[in-house]
Amino acid sequence: MSALDIQNIRKSYGAVETLKGIDIALQSGEFLVLLGSSGCGKSTLLNIIAGLAEATSGDIRIAGRSILGVHPKDRDIAMVFQSYALYPNLSVRRNIGFGLEMRKVPLAEREKAVAEASRLLQIEPLLDRKPSQLSGGQRQRVAIGRALVRKPQVFLFDEPLSNLDAKLRLEMRTELKRLHQILKTTVVYVTHDQIEAMTLATRIAVMKDGRIEQLGTPEEIYNQPATLYVAGFVGAPPMNMIDVEVDNGALRIVGSEVRLRLPDRFRPLLQAPVVQDKTRLALGIRPEALRLASLDQAGDQAGGHVLPVRIEVVELTGPELVATARIGPQKLTACLAPRARVGQGDVAAFAVDDDALHLFDPATGQALLA
Amino acid sequence: MSGSWMTTRAWLLMLPLLAVMISVIGWPLVDTVRLSFTDARLVGTEGSFVGLDNYARMLSGANFQRTLVTTTWFAVISVAAEMVLGVLAALLLNQQFYGRTVLRALMILPWALPTVVNATLWRLIYNPEYGALNAALTQAGLLDAYRSWLGEPNTALAALIVADCWKNFPLVALIALAALQAVPRDITAASMVDGAGPIARFRFVILPYLVGPLLVALVLRTIEAFKVFDIIWVMTRGGPANSTRTLSILVYQEAFSFQRAGSGASLALIVTLLVTVLAVAYAALVRKAAGSAS
Ligand SMILES: Nc1ncnc2c1ncn2[C@@H]1O[C@H](COP(=O)(O)OP(=O)(O)OP(=O)(O)O)[C@@H](O)[C@H]1O
Ligand SMILES: [Mg+2]
Repeated sequence: MSALDIQNIRKSYGAVETLKGIDIALQSGEFLVLLGSSGCGKSTLLNIIAGLAEATSGDIRIAGRSILGVHPKDRDIAMVFQSYALYPNLSVRRNIGFGLEMRKVPLAEREKAVAEASRLLQIEPLLDRKPSQLSGGQRQRVAIGRALVRKPQVFLFDEPLSNLDAKLRLEMRTELKRLHQILKTTVVYVTHDQIEAMTLATRIAVMKDGRIEQLGTPEEIYNQPATLYVAGFVGAPPMNMIDVEVDNGALRIVGSEVRLRLPDRFRPLLQAPVVQDKTRLALGIRPEALRLASLDQAGDQAGGHVLPVRIEVVELTGPELVATARIGPQKLTACLAPRARVGQGDVAAFAVDDDALHLFDPATGQALLA
Repeated sequence: MSGSWMTTRAWLLMLPLLAVMISVIGWPLVDTVRLSFTDARLVGTEGSFVGLDNYARMLSGANFQRTLVTTTWFAVISVAAEMVLGVLAALLLNQQFYGRTVLRALMILPWALPTVVNATLWRLIYNPEYGALNAALTQAGLLDAYRSWLGEPNTALAALIVADCWKNFPLVALIALAALQAVPRDITAASMVDGAGPIARFRFVILPYLVGPLLVALVLRTIEAFKVFDIIWVMTRGGPANSTRTLSILVYQEAFSFQRAGSGASLALIVTLLVTVLAVAYAALVRKAAGSAS
């Protein structure tokens, strides 16, 4: 039985359909991240799970029990909001204990739960302050504490870190990961930050326009993106997308004479025949899959390829050197070792393994043989 | 340097306004202070200096004390009722329902009416022979015979308070409604997830956002209620048997009906002082509330 079962959830505001049939089943202890750009319906889905919004159709079950029409307080969920949503005139102590207070939990028990949560979150010295006397990071800890003491079946987070500065965000991210490892509660977490998604999730649902583009582990999302959208959304800098044409069983880079042997795992596509000669495809290569190679090796190699390129811009970000190059008329970005010896205007070569090549149908956006 | 030039220009530009203000407010005020130390009559005698006689006579007189009590009753009860009604109306109009916009607009109507119109309207409602109130109450079986609501000393003040509330609660409701819309949605949502019922939600979530704006409304309304003149003048002229005579009515009677300009002036200044004290005390209260809220 799933801890949380989201079944064909649809939501319309008037004539506009915001969620177009969402299906997710979560095992107990999973950390699901809903990832997607602004307006794709992440918060809407989370609010439906919380009971703050009503689905137009579909069902949601927590531990097997349908919670449609159940009041948010009776759903056995706790929620952390982007704006923290602390009660401004209550002390931190009462903020954290508020859910228990409303449920008429005896004072002694409440105090114990608050003490436990504040120790876990290291906010014990702040308990008697008002929210206005806290920093952003401290407020977020209090908001998390308020959810923790409830010991719910499912935690819901709506972009909890997006109001924090970069350093604090990193710190809180680690903190959340640590908490999840201790508590092992099921989590649904909304973000549009792909790093947050990759680091925190046990599974990621990449959403676009009210649909799930791909549901999978971070490794699957990163290594086997199911669609062009997912490939472009996850990873920074984003995956290179190169126009190629099928040419006598090889891939020719459009606008140049550079040809790559079609990797073996794509061979069946030729026989199917899914792709025919002259079919246009999108070839995806992650910038971090490219290495600097020597130009005289240009061409197909065992298990890989070396591509001749012209370097246009090099930027040292610190841990890596980001080189923007051209292959024929097309752009190619590579993340190289920081000491790689390339400069603007150089003619160079990038090596890439067969395994790192992704093919997409540009018409449907679907990956070929992911 | 440019600062002093700017200052000079600012004063120059303000001069016409200042001149008008000094002539219509400043001068009469100074003259009122002068008058209050004389036994001047409205017509005839210029009056001679009598020191603090007017003040002593006014403050110790039974009229003043009784009027002060009446005014306080009027102010406290009408303002309290307006606050409660206003907040309730605002809570209601903050809900999502069909026709909310129309209702919001309608609610403003009593407040938008000129006081004289409102007062006349209520005189009709209270009319002893054909008033709507009498009709409604007798037809509902709650009243045996028509009564003269404004003509009996024990109902006149209450009747006035009702009329004043009807006119002024929309202002409170308007202010409260604006404040309600400033309550963050996330906090309301959080309180729902936390299991707060309507009363707890009002107390812990909504009230903190209402207190500041409501204090402002309270200040405005109390000061206005304390100075009330027009609605009473139109409806009862302070009667019957002076049961609805407030301080402003008393000032008017003293200065114009009895033509005692000197003591009228002293009474006016006493009322001004009382209202000023109220205003200052309230301002301090508002500042304190604002300080604790942020
Ligand atoms: N109450 C509402 N009435 C009408 N449309 C709404 C309402 N709430 C959300 N929407 C629409 O639904 C879509 C999804 O909104 P949602 O808040 O779920 O996006 P999101 O993925 O959380 O975006 P963000 O990352 O910006 O928070 C948006 O296009 C939004 O305009
Ligand atoms: Mg959102």
